[in-house]
Amino acid sequence: MSFENLLSLLVYNKESPILFNSGFFLFFFAVFLLCYQVVRNSERGRVAVFCFFSLYFFYLACGYYVGLVILSAIVDFYLSNRIYRETNEKLRKGLLWFSVLINIGMLFYFKYTNFFINAINDISGGNIHPLHILLPIGISFYTFENLSYTVDVYRREIKPVDKFMDYLFFLSFFPKLMMGPIVRAADFIPQIRKPYVLSQEDVGKGMFLIINGLFKKVIVSDFIYQHFVQYIFDDPTRHTGIECLLGVYGYALVIYCDFSGYSDMAIGIARWTGFVIPPNFDKPYQSSSITEFWRRWHISLSSWLRDYIYIPLGGNRKGKFRQYVNLLLTMLIGGFWHGASWNFIFWGGVHGGSLAVDKLWIQWQKGLSWLKAGPVRAGLWKIGGILFTFHLVCFCWVFFKMETFEGAWALLHQVAGNFQGHLAGEVIAAYPQVFMLMGLGYVLHFLPANWDSKLVNGFTKLHWAGAAVVMMLFIWVLNEMKTLEPMIPIYFQF
Amino acid sequence: MSSGNKHPYPLLITIGAIVGLSVVSALKPAVNIGGYELRPLDVYADLRTPGPVSIPDTVLLAAADTAQGADSLKKNPLPARDFLTYSGILDYGYTTGPQGAGMHHFMEALRQLRTGSRKKVRIAYFGDSMIEGDLITQDLRDSLQSFFGGEGVGFVPATSVVSGFRTTITHSFSPNWTDYHFKNSPPAGVELGISGHAFVPSPESWVRFQPVRHKRLDEFGEVSLLFGKGAGQVRINDRPATLEGIGKLNAYSFHADSSTRSLTFKFSGDRPLPLYGVCFESREGIFLDNYSFRGISGIELGKLSSDMLKQVQTVRPYDLIVLHYGANVLFKPENTRFDWYERPMEKVVDSLRKHFPQSSFLIVGTADKSYRKDGRYVTAPGVKALLKVQHQFAEEKGLAYWNLYSAMGGDGAMARWVEGEQALANKDYTHFNFRGASKVGALLYKAIMDEYQHDAM
Repeated sequence: MSFENLLSLLVYNKESPILFNSGFFLFFFAVFLLCYQVVRNSERGRVAVFCFFSLYFFYLACGYYVGLVILSAIVDFYLSNRIYRETNEKLRKGLLWFSVLINIGMLFYFKYTNFFINAINDISGGNIHPLHILLPIGISFYTFENLSYTVDVYRREIKPVDKFMDYLFFLSFFPKLMMGPIVRAADFIPQIRKPYVLSQEDVGKGMFLIINGLFKKVIVSDFIYQHFVQYIFDDPTRHTGIECLLGVYGYALVIYCDFSGYSDMAIGIARWTGFVIPPNFDKPYQSSSITEFWRRWHISLSSWLRDYIYIPLGGNRKGKFRQYVNLLLTMLIGGFWHGASWNFIFWGGVHGGSLAVDKLWIQWQKGLSWLKAGPVRAGLWKIGGILFTFHLVCFCWVFFKMETFEGAWALLHQVAGNFQGHLAGEVIAAYPQVFMLMGLGYVLHFLPANWDSKLVNGFTKLHWAGAAVVMMLFIWVLNEMKTLEPMIPIYFQF
Repeated sequence: MSSGNKHPYPLLITIGAIVGLSVVSALKPAVNIGGYELRPLDVYADLRTPGPVSIPDTVLLAAADTAQGADSLKKNPLPARDFLTYSGILDYGYTTGPQGAGMHHFMEALRQLRTGSRKKVRIAYFGDSMIEGDLITQDLRDSLQSFFGGEGVGFVPATSVVSGFRTTITHSFSPNWTDYHFKNSPPAGVELGISGHAFVPSPESWVRFQPVRHKRLDEFGEVSLLFGKGAGQVRINDRPATLEGIGKLNAYSFHADSSTRSLTFKFSGDRPLPLYGVCFESREGIFLDNYSFRGISGIELGKLSSDMLKQVQTVRPYDLIVLHYGANVLFKPENTRFDWYERPMEKVVDSLRKHFPQSSFLIVGTADKSYRKDGRYVTAPGVKALLKVQHQFAEEKGLAYWNLYSAMGGDGAMARWVEGEQALANKDYTHFNFRGASKVGALLYKAIMDEYQHDAM
């Protein structure tokens, strides 16, 4: 067996950055776990091994941008300690703003420079050339982690770490570095000090999260996206309204499974290495209101936005009107955080506006308790709420996914003006595997939580050899799914 | 279940899984679950240099015409005119003598147009979804009209599923039309037009056209309403007119003055009268009609009746007929046998040639099409095999041939067009987007103009 490519895999390759679901990660992870075992009894050893592998992982994901993580760790480690020691309130505030400026400035430079260049060009009719800037992977996540850490230290809610390596460990922790969850230092850093002890439950829970995450990401999300959803979003005007609508339902599952699947893998891998990270998604499409949706969707982000934007803006403490404005502003910023385009801002704006309307609606409903009197009415309200919330979220996803407003409107126009509902059966029959998986994905999403815990229990009871066999069989199935021949898009109207 | 610290478990599970996967990769067991054969697993695939995708030799043999396979292509003593790699027009009209229908007639017509001894040159461009919404053809038409003169978008069907997508004319219509076409069965007495459609109006069915803000498309000139056998009433911008169709294809033509910003045709629909579409031209110049029908391979043109083709030749004669198909022949990317396609398509070509004896014919060889193989998008093996079949039509029947695959950049071109910094094609690795279609239109224009200039020498 020859491994000519092994060397080239050990260095960064722009074409194939490392992902949890890439084949190479399995070997990376095994070598990491081996080294981690060797130093398991030494806290400093564990920190050193983890830092090394995290930075190396990051290098494989985005090349020399790994320097940015180290740089921002140095800056924030130093500044947070200065802020903590400093007694002069003015200086403390000044240092905090300095840190915010550096972190946000870096994020702005890499993520938003071209957005503003284009905006200036559009307004002034100018012709400034956009810069060729590659977005460093994960920068949105670790910038927020740096910010919350420094703010917490400023608020004297936490004591800053005194060892630089501990801070670097927190910031670069590879399971969550690329796609979150956004971890808070106050939850994470104390766990560094604990010895590496895993209970049978930790092993079972971690295994469940890893397999569940891979299932969601590779089997459900990638498959539905590649074999159906991308065709629709590529060119909605070529497809009927019913296809576009099914494409949007598909995308709602794709983005959930992609994002939450990656989070699950991160949390599962962390669990296996002795770190507990709270869940990031909680079956969000079960929400019966948009407020509930944001308690279940990307929880680490929404709680971050709440604690570091919404509450500092005044939250609900400055009257109703200000509360609505604050919600809208917070979500606009949240939208912009997701990506540098007007579509993301619009997406955030609609969510913010909906949250404000939902607050009004809750007020208004209080006087109408008869609406929900009795289990049947309450049940109907709940189902209606779930359907409404889901479709509102789907409407917003169209803008989230489409690169341009025109594209998004074109898709919505197909749904509204060229629906052709009678073709539903034909469309579903044309992509049988896609719709089977979509059905399965949504059924699993709406299963009660104790089904998950039964599966976790099952994994917990497994001997390691049994678990290895399960893992092996599962990866085998993944391989089968990844190499399936793509389905060809089909037309239903001539 | 034992208690205590299970810290070695993650390592053991991971190593155990790797060992198990290595064994499966090495032994390559044939696993069959309910008749479904699992593909071979190679857990070390990432660690090896990805080699060229292996295509069975038989495919290359089928495509290359020679017994030595693909390598011999590169060593061909006449590489400039290898049909698989040459990106200009290969004109077999010359080699077949007077029976041929290569570019000669069309080039002659263009020259006459240029010198003023001829008023109109017309092109019928047949294709599938690759050209719907006037993609590719709008750019080709625009370039040709800018050089040879002429204004107007050519043929527009009465209704279309992609009318919202077409940017060369604003087109709207009432929902109460009945559309008979290649994919459903038209009743007796309703003859399909060469677009593959026949539209039957209900009472008060209407269709409206507005010019768009674009040079050569911003006003209407000569307008022809194409309709079938029968009689009926139409109100054109509320001005009544009587349609009397004696032949299978008839034209009601009039001149719209330049202040006309919109044309509405409202049909009484009291008697069944098949409508085909409306053509927009100017008095002089070159005109290109886009005849797109999504999802077809080209053999469907065999459903057009001889009478209809004959009538087209009298009512709307064409100097060049382009046949641009392939995407729907390659629906199974690894298939390299096209017997089902070859013979019926040959008949189509024969019948078209018989009814348009004066016209030039250009076969556009399929565009590149990629599919995913071992995790990468590569040119489907069927592409070269299909190009061979398409080239054979041209060579045997004495037509002209243009290899779009090669003009796009040859092997792997579609993957580059999709994945490039500015995408030129869609994620189905088959269809061009606006930008890509525009580029293809420019490539074909260049190929035609090269012939024109070469011909003039």
